[in-house]
Amino acid sequence: MKVAKLTGALADPAAAAWQSVENVRVSLAPVALEAQPTEYIREAWRDRDYGQTAEAQVKAASDGDRLYLRVEWADDPVPNHEFQDAVSAIFPTNGSGVLATMGDAEKPLALWFWEQGRPGPLRLISSGPGVVTKDATANLGANGVLANGRWSVVLSGPADVAQKRKVALAVWNGSRDERAGLAAVSQEWLPLEME
Amino acid sequence: MAATTEAKVRQLAWVYDLNKCIGCQTCSVACKVLWTRDEGEKHHWWMSVNTMPGLGTPKAWETMGGGVDTTTGKPLPGHQPTREEFGGGFEFNYDEVFYGGTSGKAHLEPQAPRENRWAMNWDEDQGAGEWPNSYYFYLPRQCNHCSNPVCMTACPTGALHKTDDGLVLRDEETCMGDRFCMEACPYKKVYFNYERHVGQQCIGCFPRIEAGVAPACVRQCPGRAVFIGYLEDEDSPVHKLVREWKIALPLHAEAGTGPNVYYVPPLSPYRLNEDMSIDTETPRIPPEYLESLFGPSVHQALATLKSEMDSVREGGSSEMLKTLIAYKWQELLGPFTVDPATLTPGGNGHQGA
Repeated sequence: MKVAKLTGALADPAAAAWQSVENVRVSLAPVALEAQPTEYIREAWRDRDYGQTAEAQVKAASDGDRLYLRVEWADDPVPNHEFQDAVSAIFPTNGSGVLATMGDAEKPLALWFWEQGRPGPLRLISSGPGVVTKDATANLGANGVLANGRWSVVLSGPADVAQKRKVALAVWNGSRDERAGLAAVSQEWLPLEME
Repeated sequence: MAATTEAKVRQLAWVYDLNKCIGCQTCSVACKVLWTRDEGEKHHWWMSVNTMPGLGTPKAWETMGGGVDTTTGKPLPGHQPTREEFGGGFEFNYDEVFYGGTSGKAHLEPQAPRENRWAMNWDEDQGAGEWPNSYYFYLPRQCNHCSNPVCMTACPTGALHKTDDGLVLRDEETCMGDRFCMEACPYKKVYFNYERHVGQQCIGCFPRIEAGVAPACVRQCPGRAVFIGYLEDEDSPVHKLVREWKIALPLHAEAGTGPNVYYVPPLSPYRLNEDMSIDTETPRIPPEYLESLFGPSVHQALATLKSEMDSVREGGSSEMLKTLIAYKWQELLGPFTVDPATLTPGGNGHQGA
């Protein structure tokens, strides 16, 4: 995926600047039940579907200082007053890492995590499905818009993350009580190439 | 290493004497004013008292699952109580009633749809049974600081831990607000802070414990109805009531989590027959109902209480009854007898309550 060199209001998912940027389809699949980190989660979700968001679309742009990722996916319209929709851009921290388990102890992954209704985005270090620690020092931004049955979320952070040269996605469907490792995650890394 | 760690661990336990609890909610309010007045905590009642039989808080919590299958040891799925099921935290129509020129016509009402109205203690004093044999009793509830805390083992981020005093505490920095703890807890005593996106529950007043001060629920109880102490301390009333005399029993022990809050079950008057004569064989609170709460040992516990009362009526003496009466208030407080008013503000420990 090419990271377009742009200036302007990239933080806004509706910004005109995004229209010219290459749109990449990303296939998602549920994080395996067996990989879920606690017996409670494995027992409670044994017969429940999760991670059914099959596809997301992503665009990447940078103004030199910050990397912007605009992620779009279809919203599940079923209302849920307890859990919210969420999305992460995923980067390796140690060369690569296993997406299917959202990282592991040896090769944890870094997540730029946005959740509807949460005060701001979080940078999370993930060493398993939902096995995360918060990085309070992160300088991230995020804006999400729900329109015409689709979420558009722009996540942004320091552009040097593009040196990791790869990115992946995860989506949580709040309508189905999804959180932690109960997510749909990219099946493979997407190469990131600065234009 | 395990052996030395285990040797250090003690278990704090609470004993509530349901024959003395008058449902005054002083414990609930003492806890509320001390710990849950911040943003997102309006509906939090880490300490609550409800009328039993009743739906309690959150509404119908006893039907929400969680806990452990004691035959397989596997955790059981549970329902995460919703904000409507906790209820409370209402806004009221103060402006209309006090300043709206509606003198005598408008009444204070929660600003929530009628069908959604519920809160801690919403079904107060309803109870069960038909006059003249209606009955109820009060059940104070808090986090059980379980020996097998399923909230802790359900959590994917390791936000909960068990202290050397046996309290189950949460690191809110580590908590991601995933709420598996709320599902797994069979007592539904974990609250979610929707503003701060973290779970929260009774912290056993640990800053007070560390300063030698009893938890607010214990120290403030006007009925002298609640004891705290270490289960292993053979001189502690808690040890005697639970382990020696076996008249204090855990609530819903069948949930398999090893709760450390115990209850002296309620005695009740005998039933009245239709001709208003007394049926001296049948207590007004059905024993099978008490068994559904406190397990089959409840019958022996009640028999023990009755027999001690009989022996005192006949001129005997009972250490058990003296303990329950609590002539000396400080005996309720276990080793935590420091008066919080003697602590320095900003020093080691909290003031107040």
